[in-house]
Amino acid sequence: MQSHQKEHLYKILVIGDLGVGKTSIIKRYVHQNFSPHYRATIGVDFALKVLSWDSDTVVRLQLWDIAGQERFGNMTRVYYREAVGAFIVFDVTRPATFEAVAKWKEDLDSKLTLANGVPVSAVLLANKCDQGKDNFKNHFTKMDQFCKEHGFVAWYETSAKENINIDEASRCLVSHIIASESDQMQPVEPDIVKPQILNSSKIASCSACFKS
Amino acid sequence: MADDLPTEFDVVILGTGLPESIIAAACTRIGQRVLHIDARNYYGGNWASFTFSGLQTWIENCKQELNTELAAACKGQALDNEEIIPFNKRNQTIQNIEVFCYSSTEDGEAVEEAGALNINSALLTTVTSSDGQENSSIDISKNHTSTEQNDSPEGRSDLEEATNSDQRSADSTLETGTIVEVEPSLTQAIQQDSPKTITYSQIVKEGRRFNVDLVSKFLYSRGLLIELLIKSNVSRYTEFKNVTRILTYHNGKIEQVPCSRADVFASKQLSMVEKRILMKFLMHYIDYELHPEDYQDYENSTFLEFLKSKQLTPTLQHFVLYSIAMVPENAKTIEGLKAMQHFLRCLGRYGNTPFLFPMYGLGEIPQCFCRMCAVFGGVYCLHHSLECLVVDGDSKLCKAVIDHRGKRVDCKYVIVEDSYLPEQICANVSYKQISRAVLITDCSILNTESNQEISVLTFPPADKGQTAVYITELCSSTMTCMKNTYLVHLTCSSTKPTAKEDLEPVVQQLFTLSTENDIEANDRTKPKVLWALYFNMRDSSGVPRQSYAGLPPNVYVCSGPDHCFGNDHAVQQAENLFHELYPSEEFCPPAPNPEDIIYDGECAQQEPSESSIPVDSKAEASAENETVVESYEDSEAQKAE
Repeated sequence: MQSHQKEHLYKILVIGDLGVGKTSIIKRYVHQNFSPHYRATIGVDFALKVLSWDSDTVVRLQLWDIAGQERFGNMTRVYYREAVGAFIVFDVTRPATFEAVAKWKEDLDSKLTLANGVPVSAVLLANKCDQGKDNFKNHFTKMDQFCKEHGFVAWYETSAKENINIDEASRCLVSHIIASESDQMQPVEPDIVKPQILNSSKIASCSACFKS
Repeated sequence: MADDLPTEFDVVILGTGLPESIIAAACTRIGQRVLHIDARNYYGGNWASFTFSGLQTWIENCKQELNTELAAACKGQALDNEEIIPFNKRNQTIQNIEVFCYSSTEDGEAVEEAGALNINSALLTTVTSSDGQENSSIDISKNHTSTEQNDSPEGRSDLEEATNSDQRSADSTLETGTIVEVEPSLTQAIQQDSPKTITYSQIVKEGRRFNVDLVSKFLYSRGLLIELLIKSNVSRYTEFKNVTRILTYHNGKIEQVPCSRADVFASKQLSMVEKRILMKFLMHYIDYELHPEDYQDYENSTFLEFLKSKQLTPTLQHFVLYSIAMVPENAKTIEGLKAMQHFLRCLGRYGNTPFLFPMYGLGEIPQCFCRMCAVFGGVYCLHHSLECLVVDGDSKLCKAVIDHRGKRVDCKYVIVEDSYLPEQICANVSYKQISRAVLITDCSILNTESNQEISVLTFPPADKGQTAVYITELCSSTMTCMKNTYLVHLTCSSTKPTAKEDLEPVVQQLFTLSTENDIEANDRTKPKVLWALYFNMRDSSGVPRQSYAGLPPNVYVCSGPDHCFGNDHAVQQAENLFHELYPSEEFCPPAPNPEDIIYDGECAQQEPSESSIPVDSKAEASAENETVVESYEDSEAQKAE
């Protein structure tokens, strides 16, 4: 890695009803595999994807799954905090999961905005398109309208199983994030303390303490 | 949506306050199946923090009368040889809420918080003159009965409606594009030269900038909570600010307490002799155990008597007692020495005071443990109440709980926050009370060049029998209040009937309580209070388990917040309860760090990618059909090899 490369770290939320394929999309995108057997993700906050965006930009994406555990929509603020983008996922074979999309988007916008008060970029994913294409085809124009109304920057038909459009959707989201970031650089709050195990390597004697 | 809730768990936890949330995380970390429920639609119980509009909703909800009748659905779910213990559905832990608004409300009609909102304008009281304060205050409980007679008699549906309408109004606000208004109002706030001009409508509009904690505590940098956050890796979710100043109120003046070596030497309030005495005293007694001969004679005396015997001047006694040891006047010598030692040992770990404050408020901390619990498989249901415990007639053990939809969930253990316990179980319990005040002010109680100080001030008791008042003042960079305002919390153990009676005398000494047009408002020596809230919170921290009558042995009780300044009580309680349930298990072992899990093999990608840590292809292959945590273990194993 060249030293002049810029590195961006983006926290991306992956939101949607139970069983729409959030974990599968993340696994397909990050680990290049797909398992038809659904298993709740245990013990991992997010998956990390590293992209060479262009010759001098590296993008590290943290994809935060709501997993099955917060499935009743009761995500903690920790989950939303400092996210800069979101995928909202529904299952084209189950209309109820599409009906929930507006609710998820409103929930997202009420709990998270960028520092300038603008909602974060969100891309809508119509997942399992390998299974439900026929039912769904008629809705293409409606979908564009829906995205406009609900403030999605774009929508994609995706399939984690067949690896359709997931990279494209991600590229779209990242480019929107980069664009909105250059609009307004977020000032980094100074003097934030993050206690960690390795943090204890502070100087043993200093003017702040009484041990000499 | 919650219909597909599993029917069996190892542990059901009711309440999302700090101790319950720590236990929830600890249980999932050892592989237990945890159902974590809160009847409220927010995390934290009495540990929660709210935006300004969220706080208005909370105030409203506190006075809701909930239906205590056992749902019929519940009875059908219990078998013949089972008994039922119904849960309490009324939150009786908050009382004597009083709200005052001293900021101008002239332009305050029909303002809405950008993004989310449920303002009840009836709660707003404008104080027209300083001597009219008493009359224009609103007694919430009386107000409730008079203005809301037409409420539906069904208490719970009432609450649900309130939250639903909250949601709806939030939605409609979004659709109509109120967010656009954020920018102009923000710029307006920044352009304010004189903070005096902040109006109520600005506070409402910028309401999302506020995170008002119901309990006000700081974290000792070497206290149990910080150590637990680090040990468990929950710290990855947390961010803190250093508390920058320790203040004291002495001889009618607010002064900064020199509490580090650098501060002592830089102090202007102390004479050279005092500096030398203080330094020598603090450095000697930081390891007080090494010098038992120096304090043995005073073990049965008070700490204050001990301080006097060490030739500390009255100013130094005051500093050490109230601001460093932070113990009451009647504290014994050893208690004072221990507290002083803890304070001194916490200095310098992260900053020049011993304290840290969580960004976005203390209410974040329970949520951080909940997130950890959820990541390890815990199931979360907020705004979901439990009707009753099901107790086996023979063993007297709790076998299951039944929720408000009549769904039965079997479990091995139940952990319940004490406010959910029914009266029949708590009949013999006597509670203490905490008095709280929350103020939004326009400038700091001690102005310096920086307007971003985070301060703690111990206000000594006015007379015998009263307790010291802990005051914390938060600036906007803590993300708990809007720009050009300060959020001030006052806390003490209650000695008078209401929080206002306990705390208003202190507020009056430190702040100006008047409306914009008053002549006194031009007296800028004291900060002006823009908005004030008083309430009492029940302190159940000292209640022993034996005082709860008829509780099944596998049902455990967590208390609400205590009145102390630190969080040790909650952490200790969580650890003790966890070890009662699982004596041989480790309490909150470190969670694997997701940053360590980086996956390679980007060849299938259309765009070239790179990763900084190469992962063996063997791990990739075995990751097929496995959960992420298993592949994590693989890569860990490789590192070990």
